[in-house]
Amino acid sequence: MKPNPADAIFTALADATRRQVIRALSEQGPSTATGLAANLPVTRQAVAKHLSALAEAGLVTATRRGRENLFQISPRPLTNAVSWMADLGARWDQRLAALRDHIAVPRRRR
Amino acid sequence: MDVVVREVMVPAPPAEVWPVLTDSDEMSTWFGADAEIDARPGGRGVFRWADGTERPVVVEEVESERRLAFRWLPFQRTAGGHVVAVPSTRVEITLDEVPGGTRVRVVERPAFSLGTARPRSAGGLLAAIGA
Repeated sequence: MKPNPADAIFTALADATRRQVIRALSEQGPSTATGLAANLPVTRQAVAKHLSALAEAGLVTATRRGRENLFQISPRPLTNAVSWMADLGARWDQRLAALRDHIAVPRRRR
Repeated sequence: MDVVVREVMVPAPPAEVWPVLTDSDEMSTWFGADAEIDARPGGRGVFRWADGTERPVVVEEVESERRLAFRWLPFQRTAGGHVVAVPSTRVEITLDEVPGGTRVRVVERPAFSLGTARPRSAGGLLAAIGA
């Protein structure tokens, strides 16, 4: 099984604070770490750390604005997650075809 | 699209298909990985791919000749020996007797729903994971 981009997404979203951060970001629209921290029960430094983990997973994108980064939700990873599901489906197509062949062949021999 | 559903018709009754789904050696012939599975509720299993990847499962439901459900645990050992996090999903395999054989139906879904992928909004995904 090959590693896939969806892994990074699920891993990033496994953290409750990170989910809070990304929800705040989706509610507030493009924001800085300072702007998000104002509405969250964590420090600006913690928010910045979570944002960089989310950016690494491709869930948010950062653009430089003055001395801070402006973060916004990236829609692309959702597409990746969907394509990961498509990979799962393709794997089952292969497995079930092999299952059918495995069952059909011994029966012909009986 | 947050659930994978696949079906295949096989030319044998459920009683003959069942062992092919639940016996480790039989499973290894079609799964695409070496299977070692204890097909009892709570039983553990591990799948080993040719590239060295290993993924553990836990068996959740067993209804003889009818239904097998297992959950992929949320980590795997890579070919290089590292343990990495992967999405946990649940697989449910159901057998239905039909004329000429058995319909094998597989449903695999994430441990949490991916929600509806709406462009420019993570709302569906976030709602789905209870954020």
